[in-house]
Amino acid sequence: MHRRKINRFFGKNSRQGNWWAALLIIIATILLLLVKSDDFATPQNASNLLAQAMPLIIVAIGQMIVIILAGMDLSVGSVMSLTTAILALDGSPYALIPLVFLAAICVGLVNGVAIVKLNVHPIIATLSTQFIVLGIAQLLRPVAGGSVPDFVVTIVTGSVLGVPAPVFWGIVIVGLGWKIVHGSRFGLHLFAIGGGNASGQLDTAHNFGLKDERNIVLAYVISAGFAALAGLFIAGRIASGDPSVGSQFALDSITAVAIGGTQLSGGVGGLHGTIIGAILMSLLANGMNLANLSAFLQGAIKGVILLLVVGLQSRKKMGL
Amino acid sequence: MTNVLRSAARIPPAYIVFVILLATLWLTKPQLMNANVMGIFVRQVAPLGILVLGQLLVMRVRSIDLSGAGVLLLVNYMIASGLLGDLPLPLILLVSLGIGCLVGLFNGYLVAKRRVSAVIATLAVTVIIGGFVQFVASGKPPGNMPELMNDIYKMKWGPVPLPVVLWVALTAVMAVFLSRFVYGQFVMAVGENPTASHFSGVPVERTVLMAHVIAGLFAGIAAIVQSAAVAVGSLRLGLEMPIDAVAATILGGVIFGRGDGGVWGPFFGVMCFALLFVSMTSFGVPEPGKQIARGLIILLAAIFYGLNTRKT
Repeated sequence: MHRRKINRFFGKNSRQGNWWAALLIIIATILLLLVKSDDFATPQNASNLLAQAMPLIIVAIGQMIVIILAGMDLSVGSVMSLTTAILALDGSPYALIPLVFLAAICVGLVNGVAIVKLNVHPIIATLSTQFIVLGIAQLLRPVAGGSVPDFVVTIVTGSVLGVPAPVFWGIVIVGLGWKIVHGSRFGLHLFAIGGGNASGQLDTAHNFGLKDERNIVLAYVISAGFAALAGLFIAGRIASGDPSVGSQFALDSITAVAIGGTQLSGGVGGLHGTIIGAILMSLLANGMNLANLSAFLQGAIKGVILLLVVGLQSRKKMGL
Repeated sequence: MTNVLRSAARIPPAYIVFVILLATLWLTKPQLMNANVMGIFVRQVAPLGILVLGQLLVMRVRSIDLSGAGVLLLVNYMIASGLLGDLPLPLILLVSLGIGCLVGLFNGYLVAKRRVSAVIATLAVTVIIGGFVQFVASGKPPGNMPELMNDIYKMKWGPVPLPVVLWVALTAVMAVFLSRFVYGQFVMAVGENPTASHFSGVPVERTVLMAHVIAGLFAGIAAIVQSAAVAVGSLRLGLEMPIDAVAATILGGVIFGRGDGGVWGPFFGVMCFALLFVSMTSFGVPEPGKQIARGLIILLAAIFYGLNTRKT
């Protein structure tokens, strides 16, 4: 009994995956940065770090939901870019914000329907929507510019009683993610469908009477919705539209999810691991910035981290 | 009747799209329809066509290779910056091919031995190479290509530009290689059913690894031709090429594990791209329109095959 508890904590046979390794690296990184950099432990840097980490945390939660289903969503970055492009249009924020989420739901629906009804591989479906959505964003706003409604800027950069807005965002997003993944019937079905998929029996969940097709479509819609939320947050931060703002986020979010112990083959993962992974990625980026590392080299290092994390996961299937 | 319909559904969409595009161009822009102009259009997509030869091989063994952009950047930077000093041109080209093979070998190791998702692995390789090259170049484009390369690129064999000759020749070699050699049979078997192939004694891992190495080699050749075409060093060269290669391959009737289109289907997929981009430019469609077209082509072609597979 005791041994089983220990095993579960360290990620062996656990449905949450191996998240404690990422946590240990976070602690080590914080200690290292505290010793090495004088600028790390300043209130300014702390609030920067929080604001930088928030979009990645939001996208990663959506990405995790489709990855638990043994899928993947490469279109999240483009959805974020599209969101900032839409918000920078002329118009009332009360019309633009619903429009943003409507657009995201459409992208999610296209992804989901192509995958379950039209039999397209998830990676190919989201790879193609990535380009379609990016093209639409570039049509709306060919180069970075324009201005976002004040309302959006206020809800992202403002503060209530001295507490910065990102803190409230964090609480709401984590609560929402927890409700979806660990506190709802949909969340339970996610693990059932993804776990059946990982064990090579595609129809396991279906045979137990789960509405697998409906759940998969819903997962892609939720992922696009979270991406739109992240885009909203970034639009508030940069106060303008930018069609290239999301280009890094597809791979970054997959890295964050994988580093937090979620298995790309599906069925294993958890919200806390993903949040830990996203915080770790933001901490590393922050540390590399403080160390004045070239932005190009930072990109290469992120790629190496992705390869290491994904290369260490075991998978039966070969190929895509 | 159903037989006719069924065999019609097996024709790769590339042939149909090619005919439609050609007819549209013929009707709307007849002045473009001469050997010289067409030769230039087709010459432009020769690097893409060579890249597609590797792409179709990896896609037939249910993998994918998006690292072509990385190989292109690296080879272009290496030649343009004079990193290798005064080596003679043939040796430089040989090193370029070697780089392609090495990147392919690394991809193959990750995909076949470590079982990493091929999209993630090859995208990460591109990100790593791209970041590294930009770091070494500190963001500034390097110098020019040797003039000899651009001169060879512009040569013609009769009315046909030399790069196109190279492309057609490599395609023919690939077709013979896949149909006459045991390796071609292995590729087909692994594509149809990896598990069954494994238990029938097909070396699955080695077949996939080899496919990635060959794809890397073709990426190296494509990089040389593309670099010769632009004649200068560039850090933004061919970033979209791997995606176009995937789109052309699917359009040509080769999709994960299924090789209906053979080698010539994707060939016409690339020809479609040649005509498509020309007609989009001549009709004044902006760059974002091309992005949307890219995505739509992949999605529609994949849906076409997805529905086909479901029926059978």
